This record gives sequence, C-alpha cells and structure tokens, in this order.
Amino acid sequence: MKRPAALNLLRRVGLISGLAGALALAGCGGGLRPLIGLNLQLARGGEVRAPSLAGPWLALIRSREGRGRVELIALDRNAPVPLPGLNRPDAQPLSVAVDQRGEHLAVVRQLEGRTELVLYRRSLQALQPIALQPAGVPRQVQLSADGRVLAVELSRDGRWQVDLLELP
Amino acid sequence: MQRRRPLRLLGALPLLLALAGCAAPWGLRRQPSPPLGLGQESRQDPALSGDGRLLASVVERGGRSTVLLQERRSGSTVPLRHLRGRQPHSSPSLSWNGRYLALLVQQGPQRLAVVEDRATGQLHPLPLPGGREPERLSLAPDASQLALQLVEAGQTRVELYDLRGLLEPDLPPGQPLSGPAPAGVALGGAALRHLGGWR
Repeated sequence: MKRPAALNLLRRVGLISGLAGALALAGCGGGLRPLIGLNLQLARGGEVRAPSLAGPWLALIRSREGRGRVELIALDRNAPVPLPGLNRPDAQPLSVAVDQRGEHLAVVRQLEGRTELVLYRRSLQALQPIALQPAGVPRQVQLSADGRVLAVELSRDGRWQVDLLELP
Repeated sequence: MQRRRPLRLLGALPLLLALAGCAAPWGLRRQPSPPLGLGQESRQDPALSGDGRLLASVVERGGRSTVLLQERRSGSTVPLRHLRGRQPHSSPSLSWNGRYLALLVQQGPQRLAVVEDRATGQLHPLPLPGGREPERLSLAPDASQLALQLVEAGQTRVELYDLRGLLEPDLPPGQPLSGPAPAGVALGGAALRHLGGWR
C-alpha cells in the first residue's frame, strides 16, 4: 500500500518540477512565450506541419497514418472548424494558407498523381482548381491576410519560380 | 453550304477564347511573374505582407539563399539591415504593413528564428526553449503570435508563441487596438518616430 502512495508523490513532484522547468525555459526564451494550452492540443492526434497564421485563424496540415488533412483552428475558441468539401481521403495536402477572415484557404495538394493548386471559399463550401499559366508544378502557397493576393512557389522550366495571382 | 460551317466556327474562335479568358475562376487576375525588374532567377519561399503590398522571397546571392524584400507591383527592392552574413535564409513571413519580417537564419551551427523590425531597426532573435531548431514559421499579420514548425523526437509539430510582450502590433490602417494592451504594447515611441522611413 505504501508503494502506490510513494509513486503518486513521485509523480506529483515530477509534474511540478516539469512545470517549473517549462516555466523557466519559457522565461529564457528571449521574448517567446509559449501558448501552452494550444500547444498541448496541437500535439495531440498526429503530426502537424505547414502552419499559416492570420487573425484568429491557424491553418495547418495534420497527418495520421500517412494521410494528411487540412485543419482550420479558431484560436479564440481553441477548436477546429469544419471544412466541408475540402479534404478528400485520396488527396495529400502539401501546403496551406488562410486569410484574416478565415474565408479563403489556398491549398497545394497531390491528387491522382498530379499536384494542383486549389482555392476553398468557406462561406460557399466551394473548391476551385486554379490553373497555372504557363504550366508548372506548385509546391507552396501563401495568401495575403487581406485575401486579395496569392503567391505560389512552383517548378517550371527546371527552376523554382513564384507566380502572383490577384483575387477579386 | 456545309463547307461554310467550319469557316464560321473559325471566325467565332477568337470570341470563344476571349470569353474563356474572362471566365477564370472567381475572376483571378494574374500578375506577370517575376515582378518587374527581377529577371528569371530562381525564387522560392514567397511571403506577402497582410495588405499584399510587399513580397518577400528567397533567391540565390553569391551561392547563398538570401531573403529579398520587394514592392510587389514595381519589383523595387526594399533594404534590410541585419540579415547579411546569416545565410541561408528561409521561411520569411511578413506582418500586415510589412513592418516586421520574421524568418529563419543561420547562427553558428543552429537555425534560429528572428524578427527584423523595419520601423526601429532592431533585430529580435527568438531562440526556442530547450535549444530546439525551427523548420518553418508563420508570423500573425498583427505580429501578436508566431507559429513555429519543428521536429522533436522524430515527429514534426507546430507550436504557437505569444509575441505581445516583445513586438508592437502592426495593424491595418484605421484599426484600433482592441482590449487592454499587455505590458509593453503601445503604439508610439520609437515606432512612431520611424514611421516616415519604413513604409
């Protein structure tokens, strides 16, 4: 009976010292203060990558068992919002960007052996492929926070290039 | 009569092509790329200021990946003060008006996130707790938060950090500060003295 109590005590001491360590590290971070609650949530449920911050929104790609999904997190509620019609089980997202209103999401994804750029409008739940002219293979996309300009990194003619597209 | 039909179709072809051009998805307009005055050099890692006025991207300069800040429409280069000698640069990210440029630089053997404040001329190094190294970053347009992608124990993860104690906000014109500002956050002081110079 004594052993579980001792273990509990050790666990408590470990937790407290871990928290103290995290706080000490946060204090040494040169102005970086971690948002601990959000970070704990982000760490759950698979790998996350390709973050895009804009206003109260964080867009990212979460991978589970080799499958990637675009997620949009409302930072003020610390909760993901639904994106009906955007994610497909046979598509692999590579890059995502969101605007300040959380209305536009630009995504580079692999689908059926092709790499394509698509624009999702959340209010319409509509997805629109965007053709690159001249043709190129997109790798990364950025969206201005006002939602008016897209910058796309793509491979074309054996070089990395950047295309700029203005949205209405 | 039947021979004339192909000719009529050919005559209508320019009109059809013009209509197809107008039917680009949601009225997308393409800006010539690369921006004016830049030539055809290789270019990666684009980032736009929140208002879309500035473009940061990574180009090769003397064999080293170097961030370049430009006016998007004209292609004219905007000077940066602190980044020379810290190549390779990667993952630039701009605040709303382009006051802040966050990016990854090399410091000794490590990758380091930094923010250049173009209003005050300061460089803010942002070392990660525990000596970890970032892979990518995204700066919130108002400069209140930073998202860092890093690898820890073989797993790629994203962590968010609050910058409000470090950086003044960079808001769209006319947008007031909402709510009580945290300690150290106020418009004015050094930033206002430099406003004429950095925009």
